[in-house]
Amino acid sequence: MAQTMTAPTSAVPQAAAKPFYFNTAAHLLRITRQKANTLSEFLEALREVPEDSIFQHSFRTLQEHHFIRQGFSNDFAQWALSSCKEPGLGEKLSAVDIREFTSISDLRQRFIGIVEGFLQGNPAAGTKVAQETFYFCASDVVVIPTSFVAHTMHEFAEGIRNVSVHSIHHHFIEARLRIKLMSNDFSQWLHEDMGLTATARALNQIDIYIGTLEDVRQQIVRIVERALTEGGD
Amino acid sequence: MNALNQMIETETPASTSTRSATASAAPVAQPERRKAPRTWETPPAPVPPAPLDHYRSIVGDADIEELRFLARDLKGKTVKMVNSTAVGGGVAEILNRLIPLLGELEVMTHWDVITGGNDFFEVTKAFHNALHGSPYELTRQAQEVFLMHNEQNRQRMQFNEDVVVIHDPQPAALISSKKETKARWIWRCHIDLSNPNPQVWGFLRPFVEQFDAAIFSSQSFARQLPIPQYLFYPCIDPLSEKNKNLDDSFVQKVCDEFGVDRNRPIVTQVSRFDRLKDPVGVVQAFKMARKYVDCQLVLAGGGASDDPEGAVVLKEVKEVAGDDPDIIILDLPPWCALEINALQRASTLIIQKSIKEGFGLTVTEALWKGKPTIAGAVGGIPNQIIDKLTGALVHSVEGCAYQIRYLLTHSEFADQLGKNGHEHVKENFLITTNIRRWLLLFRILLNSAGR
Repeated sequence: MAQTMTAPTSAVPQAAAKPFYFNTAAHLLRITRQKANTLSEFLEALREVPEDSIFQHSFRTLQEHHFIRQGFSNDFAQWALSSCKEPGLGEKLSAVDIREFTSISDLRQRFIGIVEGFLQGNPAAGTKVAQETFYFCASDVVVIPTSFVAHTMHEFAEGIRNVSVHSIHHHFIEARLRIKLMSNDFSQWLHEDMGLTATARALNQIDIYIGTLEDVRQQIVRIVERALTEGGD
Repeated sequence: MNALNQMIETETPASTSTRSATASAAPVAQPERRKAPRTWETPPAPVPPAPLDHYRSIVGDADIEELRFLARDLKGKTVKMVNSTAVGGGVAEILNRLIPLLGELEVMTHWDVITGGNDFFEVTKAFHNALHGSPYELTRQAQEVFLMHNEQNRQRMQFNEDVVVIHDPQPAALISSKKETKARWIWRCHIDLSNPNPQVWGFLRPFVEQFDAAIFSSQSFARQLPIPQYLFYPCIDPLSEKNKNLDDSFVQKVCDEFGVDRNRPIVTQVSRFDRLKDPVGVVQAFKMARKYVDCQLVLAGGGASDDPEGAVVLKEVKEVAGDDPDIIILDLPPWCALEINALQRASTLIIQKSIKEGFGLTVTEALWKGKPTIAGAVGGIPNQIIDKLTGALVHSVEGCAYQIRYLLTHSEFADQLGKNGHEHVKENFLITTNIRRWLLLFRILLNSAGR
């Protein structure tokens, strides 16, 4: 469900109602039983694999490839493009923005819909053998606290500057699956505990697909620093 | 004394250099080359692994703190690693580095090596080849030899630890002790099981199915098993001699010694003289590319002195290279890690045009050094090279030649591939990442055991 933020312009408070605890997450890759050599097999597996496999190849892979500035979105798109040689399908899969989803089930349906639609229009593509097999993996996750805690905007900015990009991914991208909102942990804290609604909204509008995760961090820092410099939203 | 100095002082017949053989046919001014490369006569003692804190400057404080956090819950837990050789071979090399680092994190890890007679190791060698897909007739006698030696080791060993990790098939039947222990048992398979001999896999599979988890080096090596299977990529140590940063003066010295001109583009393949690495194809691709762009080719490898087939391949490579003064062929012993490191760092592009490959750690090394890398799309290479993002994948001599031309003339794109490749290795293929994987797996298994 979409979150609306309509509070008026606010000043940066001295301290937050609740502190922000920076965490990060470590993942261990598990190999599932499903694999695909053709797009038809791929579609069948997409319907059957566990949710943590859809998570791995969409949310998680974006984190694994956080250093790529452009041209990488998710493993499904990459496979369609480089192994199946189907650039049209690759582009459609690549255009799926994981931030539009707060549940893996909905995200899975989007991927299934795209592949189904493509195969309806290109039935012969379904049985063409791909250059490389697609192996569906999944990941086991352990959430790890960091030493950074923010009680103030200054401490928040300091945390953002210093935590790993994995922590940024955990709070900024992956969070929506946890909080079930079209938002992220940073924006939620800025909105709810600092009363900085416009800053929260600005963060939530950052495009994560046109830069590296480090670029995203820098954009977050700039927005937070602007709020600090201007004394509020 | 470093390896280079030693190489200058000692000359062994094992060393060859095609470049020096062809140099006399090239009257044009060339950097002075030695008459023949020298090598150490005996391998140096292995360099001990660096302490964990030395990796901070490479992976960052956050990663090291993450490891310490993950290890905290494992404090007091004990792990036993079991393999079949204490020295030589990739597994021993991995354990030699892994175990001290786990110890630093206070995850006490013991290492046991199984013993066996020649009959046992002949059988396990045959199993190894068969699991890689070679034809093999599994006899009752071979099964009995395998089981007898495993049983003898099982009787001798104790398994009082919280986690037991069995490496590869040789000690797999030790799993029979599982029911007598409180431990969680992991089978770490380092070999390619994508196309195993059905008889041998059929024999081993009942043992493997008794473990609590299995680990493979590639998704394609995994089998249909009723136990969880995890993916641990092979990794490199960024502080090892092969990968650590080098002073440019040393890199220059090595290039001078080998006759490599750093003022011109350098294209390098590091690999054994093995047909599966396609060194002949590399020479052909280089010759095609050089019609369009100026460059030199360095083929640095080994295997010609201790492997009859390697010597044949080296001869073939020399024949294809002909009297080309820009093709430098170096047959180096395996302990010339610093020299290999220097040659990789001096290179403009690195090639690994393998036809068949395990994981391809030479690709990992190249990417770590930020080098634009062109490689065959085989084995574990596509896990490392995402085409046009972290390197270039090729499927033919012609494709390789084109990528050499393209990357040598589009330096901005080539640099970006190199930077992405470096980050990809940092994220996925360093020893610190594998330590994290081990800690995560230990935690997951011990938690699932209700501890």
